Amino acid sequence: MSDDKNEKKVHGIVAEYTSVDSLLVACRRIRDAGYTKTDAFTPFAVHGIDEALGIKPTFLPWIALGGGVAGLVTALLMQIWMNGINYPYIISGKPYISLPAFMPVAFELTILFASFGAFFGMWALNGLPRFSNPIFTDPRFDRATDDRFFLYIDAKDKSFDQAGAEKLLGETGTEYINTVVDDDSSTTVPKFLLTTLIAVIAISFIPALVVARMRVTTSSKPRFHIFPDMDFSPARDAQQTTSLFADSRAMRPDVPGTVARGEMEENLDFLTGIQMELLSSVDADRAERLVRTYAQEGEPSEKASDQGAEPAKSVMDTTPWLEQNPIKITEAFVQQGQLQFNIYCSTCHGMDGRGNGLVNNRAQQIMASSWIPPASMHQQSLYAEQYPDGKLFSTISNGIRKMPGYAGQIKTRDRWAIVAYVRALQQSQNASLDLVPENQRAEIKAEQARVEKKLAEQAEAERKKEAE
Amino acid sequence: MSKHAPAIKPADDPAFQLPSKLSALSIPLCAGGLFALIAGWAIGNWGVDSHFSMSAYLTAFIYCLTIALGALFFVLIQHLSRAGWSVVVRRVAELIMLMLVPLAVLFIPIVVSLWTGEGTIYKWDDPAFAEHHHIPAAVWENKTLYLEPNFFAARAVIYFVIWIGLAVYFFRSSVTQDETGEKRITERMQKWSAPALILLSLSMSFAMFDWVMSLAPMWFSTMFGVYLFSGGILSAHCAIAAGTYLLQKTGAMRDEVTVEHYHDLGKYIFGFVFFWIYIAFSQYLLIWYGAIPEETIWFYHRQLGIWGVLSLVLVFFHWILPFIGTMSRHVRRRPTLVFGWSVYILVLHFVDVYWCVMPEVYEGPGGGLDAAGGVPGIASSLLSAAGMVALMLGMILTIAGQTRIAASRDPRFGESLAFENI
Repeated sequence: MSDDKNEKKVHGIVAEYTSVDSLLVACRRIRDAGYTKTDAFTPFAVHGIDEALGIKPTFLPWIALGGGVAGLVTALLMQIWMNGINYPYIISGKPYISLPAFMPVAFELTILFASFGAFFGMWALNGLPRFSNPIFTDPRFDRATDDRFFLYIDAKDKSFDQAGAEKLLGETGTEYINTVVDDDSSTTVPKFLLTTLIAVIAISFIPALVVARMRVTTSSKPRFHIFPDMDFSPARDAQQTTSLFADSRAMRPDVPGTVARGEMEENLDFLTGIQMELLSSVDADRAERLVRTYAQEGEPSEKASDQGAEPAKSVMDTTPWLEQNPIKITEAFVQQGQLQFNIYCSTCHGMDGRGNGLVNNRAQQIMASSWIPPASMHQQSLYAEQYPDGKLFSTISNGIRKMPGYAGQIKTRDRWAIVAYVRALQQSQNASLDLVPENQRAEIKAEQARVEKKLAEQAEAERKKEAE
Repeated sequence: MSKHAPAIKPADDPAFQLPSKLSALSIPLCAGGLFALIAGWAIGNWGVDSHFSMSAYLTAFIYCLTIALGALFFVLIQHLSRAGWSVVVRRVAELIMLMLVPLAVLFIPIVVSLWTGEGTIYKWDDPAFAEHHHIPAAVWENKTLYLEPNFFAARAVIYFVIWIGLAVYFFRSSVTQDETGEKRITERMQKWSAPALILLSLSMSFAMFDWVMSLAPMWFSTMFGVYLFSGGILSAHCAIAAGTYLLQKTGAMRDEVTVEHYHDLGKYIFGFVFFWIYIAFSQYLLIWYGAIPEETIWFYHRQLGIWGVLSLVLVFFHWILPFIGTMSRHVRRRPTLVFGWSVYILVLHFVDVYWCVMPEVYEGPGGGLDAAGGVPGIASSLLSAAGMVALMLGMILTIAGQTRIAASRDPRFGESLAFENI
């Protein structure tokens, strides 16, 4: 290197042309002369220049295709892993691995990765990013973006020899040939730049350190708000004045005719399913608490107000529940109950109340580990004698075990209607024949005989099968 | 430019005339097509029933109609975007779009069927339909406000007035330019292409709602018009490529249409294969995850028996296979391969239309081959389609014989000749 000090390293040769046609002719000349590491610079896209220079079709489409396929596979595997394996979660009753739902993301990632492939592949193939190119040192080269055409032969070309290349280019009708030499300016970074850089990095640590220190220390000064967020609300507090209304009161009186929460006219027995009179004699504290909370907030979850007072089980057993539905049972009322039951309850408890609803079936099918099967309405312990109407009502309102409370979704009256319907359901499963109108008894008997016969036949067939 | 573009030939050059080999085919095609159409109808009518034969006829009709509309769309888009590359192949598209005129005549049997027999094609035409399917009276009343024979016929007239108006206007302007070579005509066509596109898109979507979607009167999908349109525009590109190839093979426009034009048509075909599945899937996905019974019923019918097989055929052979097949630039730069894929997709587009129409012919889930009408049913469907296509081809050739097959005096003709893909 030392003896080359005065003689700069040749990077290549550039020739200038005034028209596209002369450039294309020159391109073909040097292509036919065997040069491959060549390039042309034009102010606009020139059709056929690839062929004239002998540039092979780009490899880029394959990179884009690879990117696209990678995106597709990534998206599918990601979604299968996330939703099907790592965190199985039922969405809209669809299977865990449900391809139609995965398609949009798969499509988007295919496009994204293919675009990345094309974009960064183009960078890689062009050797970008590159901060400078020795060819830019020639002032005449600026006109490559304006009205001149340039042809460049790289010195790294296998068949490159400077004199020959210059001669060849000279024959192509160029007006100007220049040797492109390596940039000889020093490659060492100036000291002041390094110093500044280090200083900037050092200074940038200060805010982070200040924040870090603040996070672990206490201070008697008020908080420093860079982003106030919602710390300072323009909303008025109670008892403050305002200029917004004529009477200067920030607190507005009730609109006439409003029924405020807690001022409902229904009695507490109806709202809680508990005989409050009796409760106050058994457990005065709890009765008082219930009265107070209902007076204030309407219908709170009793569980919440009860927490820590007594173990839950004994409360359920000791509470004097209402024995009877406080609403008169009519056909319309039971039908209303059926409607509500089918909407809210049947998903788990099943249309017939046997605990075989769709959600339960699905949970059994996928063997969901945390699933507690819903109770059948037809077990002895849920009949009216053991499970008073008020208790059933309270269960619907406040939930039990995994079942959430439905007080928020179902109106009080409708909850009582459901209670009535559940009683009807229970009766329907144990109805004796004399409950049926007389004219229909024969029909039911015939049906019964038919089913019994069929069952007997089945049993017979099974026995035979076993014997074989 | 590397290769000098060929000089523009004089307008009366034989290169712009329909080759005699093709013009000789026009009468046989028309006659044979008409015969096949009638034979197809007859086989369907007596082999299966009148409901079936008319549905097979409707399938063939919608198949040709979507391609003609796609061609009209192509012409409008080229004007709207002031495209230079497409001028040499535009006349082929213009000839295809002109088929909207005979198609209007062929639509008459479909309208007439509304009055001759209740529910011959459209079930909503049958007064007993609502009762039969336990549709509440209020719902049915709302449906029949729109689906009513007189209103239906009136809408059909409006659609055809719009389409024929546009097709004839753009065709005649282009043909006039062959004589005068005026640049003003091109400018006028450009000006009108934007409102024309809006009219076309809306009328086409509504027509597809009316004529195909209402086969299942209780089902609705706002994507449906776009769905059939996407298949139609795809097929129109295929038809243009195939038509151009046939013209070149028989000796016309040898120098004018180059690999570059096939390459561009191939790009369009590739893109619209994906557009088609994109629209088809969009429609399917929304209905699938909504899982509302009245919406899923349409796809449910198409998941059972032979229709389920056909659905899979569409996914694999209308999308995946041509998508991979036309992806490569090397395929698109070989006219023979572009022609092959075009014919292939045109066949699959028929399957697509068939899949939309025919499962509605039978009530309830379909079984095996019987659901498609058995052997006479399939023969009827194929003959109807072949007859309709042959009839259309014959008419295209008749018209093409009387005009030129390239808009050779379009101001951008030179640009189109010299066009090269980068």
